[in-house]
Amino acid sequence: MRDVSAGYGTMRVLHSLNFTVEAGERIGLVGLNGHGKTTMMSTIVGMTGWQDGSIIFLGNEIGGRRTHGTGRNTPKIVRSGIAIAPQGDAIFPGLSVAENLESGAYTQGAWRQRKKRRDAVLDIFPPLSDRLKQTAGTLSGGERRMVSVGRALMADAKLYLVDEPSLGLAPKISIALVAALCQIDLGDGAMVIAEQNLPLLSGRCDRILGMHAGELKEDVGEALGDLPPAAELS
Amino acid sequence: MIELLFSALVLASMYGLVAIGISLTWSSIGMLNLAQGFVFTAGGYGAYEFVQWMGKHQHIHTGNVLMVGVVLVGMLTAALAGLFVGLLAFLPLHDRVNFPVRGLIATLAISVIGTQLFIILFGPQNKPLPQLFGIKRFHIGTHGIAYGQLGTIVVAALVMGIVTFWMRTSRRGLQMRAMMMNPIGANMVGVSVRTTGMVTLAISGALSGLASVMLAQTFFVSPRSGVSPLTVGLIISLAGGLGSLPGTVAASVLLGLAEAATARYTKQSLVPFVQFGLVIAILAFRPRGLGGVLEDVRE
Repeated sequence: MRDVSAGYGTMRVLHSLNFTVEAGERIGLVGLNGHGKTTMMSTIVGMTGWQDGSIIFLGNEIGGRRTHGTGRNTPKIVRSGIAIAPQGDAIFPGLSVAENLESGAYTQGAWRQRKKRRDAVLDIFPPLSDRLKQTAGTLSGGERRMVSVGRALMADAKLYLVDEPSLGLAPKISIALVAALCQIDLGDGAMVIAEQNLPLLSGRCDRILGMHAGELKEDVGEALGDLPPAAELS
Repeated sequence: MIELLFSALVLASMYGLVAIGISLTWSSIGMLNLAQGFVFTAGGYGAYEFVQWMGKHQHIHTGNVLMVGVVLVGMLTAALAGLFVGLLAFLPLHDRVNFPVRGLIATLAISVIGTQLFIILFGPQNKPLPQLFGIKRFHIGTHGIAYGQLGTIVVAALVMGIVTFWMRTSRRGLQMRAMMMNPIGANMVGVSVRTTGMVTLAISGALSGLASVMLAQTFFVSPRSGVSPLTVGLIISLAGGLGSLPGTVAASVLLGLAEAATARYTKQSLVPFVQFGLVIAILAFRPRGLGGVLEDVRE
């Protein structure tokens, strides 16, 4: 990302961000509410009100200047290999868990291997195995989050964006969820996890970036490196 | 009694085909398509023009080719008309503010202008279509049933079955259902609202085109022949529960029965009263309609 700014209407949320995610990297993005973590993820998939600046993904420009058409390019960007598990889940409440997961494997390549990919996701989130036929709208909050994150993992993506996986969940569940996310073998893919709860991520990510008032602070992880991972805290 | 049942099912098939189209469009792209009547009529005229053309080329004319051709051309013309509506009313407007209202007005405009266009192009007279299933009747006991009626019911049931199955199992079907539930979520898994919307409009169009050809078995093609199916289709899609195919089918059968029974035992002019009264009653007790796909869902 180079000189990326974005916002909604007259409001500017991100101020000329510059950063790079390398293949195979797992990055934590921490910061308080309202400081731009979600906006940054939305910007990458073109869902903000407007955006400016260059975003290069696998050699292709997916950013650029845009003043309207929120979400119009999103499907194209997603299909080029970016999967997003948005804040607030955005699952399909009337579809079954299995169908929700399958909808994540929407890209041609992933659709053909959807059974295999689903088994892989169920290995990561075993509680979903018993609930495949259940309507997703009737799940508990933690299970919905698993469906949402699992749906993103179904995609054959090179970059996974996971927004606030712990939001609104009981501490025990959120620790397990983040731990599961951090253990996934990414291969040559990369993952960015936005999170308010720094101890959940520390020690589990390759890098931790701080976000404050729409600007990035490089590697806050080092300063807090001594903190034990959350699992040990509890 | 059996005759009543058959005429009710014929009405139900026709209304069902139109209503499924309206229901799919409404629930997946959020557009109340008032131009569906225009699409319906376009299908009828497409089939009519095809018959005229076949009449001039007698040498390739055999009964079965004509029959299949009329249905296919009717569906194709209506699907194209559906895409045309999408091109004018959906693609330029869908991500602007107040799309539901703007879309409503745009499709209303297409509907009104379309009707005038048909009058200019084809004249106000009724045009007949050939009897696809012959004019013979068969008998159940003492009751005579036209093959045309049976054919209409069978074809409509078959097509509705195929659409339901396709919605349940295919990738495109999944993406359409995903869009009904959560358009933003669908966007985020890579489902293009624009492409899916156009596909939905084409399918809805094709279904209406089929209904149009079927209706012309008993009535005629005329510039206004889409008006009544549109109105009834709208209220059926509401009564059935937006986006629910089984609900829509159930509502069509119910309204078809109501219409056939009212017309037989009282006066034809009372039909709209009974239909609307029935739909209001359904919605009073089940606000999400009979099918209510969102019924067992926690928002």
